[in-house]
Amino acid sequence: MAVKREDIITPATVSDEYAPGAKGFLQKVSSLVTGLGITARISTEKPVTIRYPAEKWTVSPRWRGALHLRGVLGRDEIPLIRHASDIYNGVIEDLYKGERLPPCVGNCPANVDARGQGFLVAEDRIPEAYELVRDRNILPGVLGRICHHPCETACRRNFYDEPVAIRPLHRFAYEEFQKVAAERLKPLPITQKQSVAIVGSGPSGLSAAYDLMKAGYRVVMYEREERPGGALNTGVPAYRLPRDVLYSEIDGLVALGLELHCGIEVGKTKPLSALQREHDAVLLAVGLQESRILPIPGHDAEGVIGALEFLWAANHKGETGVRGKRVFVIGGGNVAVDVARCALRTGATEVRLASLESSEELPAHPWEIEEALDEGVIATCSVGPEEVLTEGGNVVGMRVRECLSVFDETGRFAPKFGEGLSDFACDVVVFSIGQAAKLDSLIAGTELLVSGRGQLVVDGTHFTTSAAGVFACGEVVTGPGSAIGSIATGHEAATSILRFLRGESLTEDRTPRPVPVYAKYAVADVSGVERSRRRSIMPMARAEDRAKDFRPVELGLTHQEAMIEAARCLRCQSEICVGCTFCARTCPDYAIQVERVDEPGGRCLTRYDLDLSKCAFCGLCAEQCPTNALTHTGQYELSFFHRDLLIFDKGEMLRSGEGTRATGRDGVMPPGCPVPPRREQ
Amino acid sequence: MTLLWGFLWGVAAVATIAGGAILGVWWERKVSARIQMRYGPQQIGPFGSLQMIADVPKLLFKEDIVPALADKAIFKYAPLFVFGPVAVSMVVIPFTAGWAPLNTSVGVLFFLAVPSIEVIAILLSAWASHNTLSTLGGLRATAQMISYEVPRSLAVLAIVLLAGSLRPLDVVAAWRWWWMPLTFVAFVIYFVASIAEMNRGPFDIPEAESELVAGYFADYSGMRWASFMMAEYGAMIAASLFGAALFFGGGWPFGGALGVITLIVKAILIMTAIMWVKWTFPRLRQDQLMSFCWKALTPLALVQLVVVGVVLVWL
Repeated sequence: MAVKREDIITPATVSDEYAPGAKGFLQKVSSLVTGLGITARISTEKPVTIRYPAEKWTVSPRWRGALHLRGVLGRDEIPLIRHASDIYNGVIEDLYKGERLPPCVGNCPANVDARGQGFLVAEDRIPEAYELVRDRNILPGVLGRICHHPCETACRRNFYDEPVAIRPLHRFAYEEFQKVAAERLKPLPITQKQSVAIVGSGPSGLSAAYDLMKAGYRVVMYEREERPGGALNTGVPAYRLPRDVLYSEIDGLVALGLELHCGIEVGKTKPLSALQREHDAVLLAVGLQESRILPIPGHDAEGVIGALEFLWAANHKGETGVRGKRVFVIGGGNVAVDVARCALRTGATEVRLASLESSEELPAHPWEIEEALDEGVIATCSVGPEEVLTEGGNVVGMRVRECLSVFDETGRFAPKFGEGLSDFACDVVVFSIGQAAKLDSLIAGTELLVSGRGQLVVDGTHFTTSAAGVFACGEVVTGPGSAIGSIATGHEAATSILRFLRGESLTEDRTPRPVPVYAKYAVADVSGVERSRRRSIMPMARAEDRAKDFRPVELGLTHQEAMIEAARCLRCQSEICVGCTFCARTCPDYAIQVERVDEPGGRCLTRYDLDLSKCAFCGLCAEQCPTNALTHTGQYELSFFHRDLLIFDKGEMLRSGEGTRATGRDGVMPPGCPVPPRREQ
Repeated sequence: MTLLWGFLWGVAAVATIAGGAILGVWWERKVSARIQMRYGPQQIGPFGSLQMIADVPKLLFKEDIVPALADKAIFKYAPLFVFGPVAVSMVVIPFTAGWAPLNTSVGVLFFLAVPSIEVIAILLSAWASHNTLSTLGGLRATAQMISYEVPRSLAVLAIVLLAGSLRPLDVVAAWRWWWMPLTFVAFVIYFVASIAEMNRGPFDIPEAESELVAGYFADYSGMRWASFMMAEYGAMIAASLFGAALFFGGGWPFGGALGVITLIVKAILIMTAIMWVKWTFPRLRQDQLMSFCWKALTPLALVQLVVVGVVLVWL
């Protein structure tokens, strides 16, 4: 039967786009030549695939399978990243270059070993976990409540379900540590003759102080306020950070040997030049003291206030004078959200947050905004302040202009305004648009230089100022930022001071902090994930209750919750299998079986079976192994006389290239599991 | 005596093809890898060059499976008849000026005709497998190989016209450098038709993994399968050597042993181009295959013949 022309169906992907006749022929020839040209060009480029490491050749009975475990839960301990601050950057860089840096550590400005914390908490060695964290994050209890947790943002677990609750674990470790603080806090020995003065007791000053104390120097700290803590004390609202936590952590540092003098304002009560004479080095960690206020019409009226002053009043007097009034907060940052929530707590009837940015690009953290909206804050986005409406010198309202865009194409701050104006009635206007340093009295009588915009002249990488022996760190250098970012500058400044005091060059052989870039994770689909595998839920006070007073909003994890949470840690890049079972879940052929027990103190991988007869050598398991414990061996040509030998158990997976197939004949027995210690009830 | 010589030449041809196939497979894996931005073999030997040494024993010792319903005698020996003609065709290649293993006055015709016996062997092996996919592959191979004989022979005829002889040694002796631009189209036709003759991509329609598993040798394994593979590489080597001799003057500009090396280098370049084409273009459809042969290559070859004829008159 002849096939009619119409019956031949051309696939949709095939089309005859060439012209008819000779022209089409030339088109075809040129497309062939183009194709050949493309492949020829590609073949000259560097291949994009990995070059597998050459493995030693071994002969028949010693052959291993295609996969190998480097280390295993229950047998090996993961390495803690714990080094002196002056070599810490180098250690981090080495780990980063060797692809052994866990993402949580890499993304933290201060490189806190969150992986080590997870390990120690899961092992129920909680005071050790606290001390490990304190090495890089001087106030774990405080940061455990207020940190913006870049560690959790980079956590590999984001990819699978939800990140490990690293920040709540800091807080939990602090609470557990308080029970044994008295016996574990002993003054550090002073082994050096030199001493260092630190002006300001904020997070950056404290972290520098701790680094210097560990190195054996005497450290004297001056604080202007009656209580220490810097911006944590004056700025952060008490519902986020109870003051007793802050003071007890700083008391811990005093117990370690810090000489803290509160109520002394350097520059007024005691001149800076005197400190320079008395000490071998001076560190300025004074932070930012002044709120910026836009010079718009009416900005000097009664009822216009800066954010720092407002928060100081809320924190120290518990009263801001807004009871029964309508508050208009200008700004979209975290401080603005703090101001708005404090205003609610001090009795404001209506709190409106007006930001230049649209609701998607608000600089405040999304969880902060969400909590504020829950409590009743009204957000008005994409408006710029135009004029404070006054009546007899008192604020009666605020006029705003619509804002079309805040950033230009290159991402720089260049707001474009539209024509639309709108008025909002209000009684108090709080400017929360940034802070500035107030340095005039501090630097009077010294050779320190201040730039035309009132900023201290500081080297941004070595934290030196224009005067020898005077260093600066924290927000006075970086501008408004996060607490953990300030702490990171404190470590860097401490390194500079250590080198200065030892008479070493500040720059030579010094490694800058590596700044790895990590993938941004979309919210994972957790619909199929068991509740027991997901992140512990932080208990929170009800929105309608918490908006009335300054009691903490987040209530903390229990001991059991914290240990379960710590056991969720995948121990990225530790090269020690944590029994996460993701390899087994990834395997398209169901060739891997993983079982784990989570007894406190006896966590162990009880089973790791690889059925080589099912394995298709796709490598997906090793590709996605978060710990890098599971690796290719490079030995794929393997055969046995008996099918049972194709199943590789835990011992066989762990065996190095030497020795015979794990039959026990070579005297190497497969590793067992530790017996969990008996716990006193 | 003649029989003994024939036997020796046969052994030499088999050894050449086997060695060439080993090197060819390694080279093809490297070429294809670079085109796909991979490294290719890298573990065994420098640049993975000893990879095939590891693979050959594997092929030799693999289980030799004969399907239960196959026509066993034909199934078992068809691979030899696929491989044999390719090996035999090597014998007329003029390796250097004045020397070919078999100096015969019909050498060009011999080279074009003898490997065509392969078609029968392929059809036999496909039929003997008692497998619809194999049979289909065999039929496709037959249609393709017989069709492409025509433009291939016509392309070679252009050179034969210029040389005035069917004896390969005479062709090489008569060869002048200006033949290269003159017979360029003929070489392209010979090149394309040769790829189709050896059933390589983009003309691997008889094998077409995605539709026919592996076509006519789908049921073969171990050394018998390797015979098919070696026949493919043997055909590639023979076609490259013969093409280099006819279209690029054999050992020109050198003679003697240096001429042999020159010929081999030219042949390697042609082989690389064959691999390059395979890893660049997707597989043709059956109708595209046939219309390309009959509507494009054959008329072009005839035009080339006319051009050469005009030049001959003008000389």
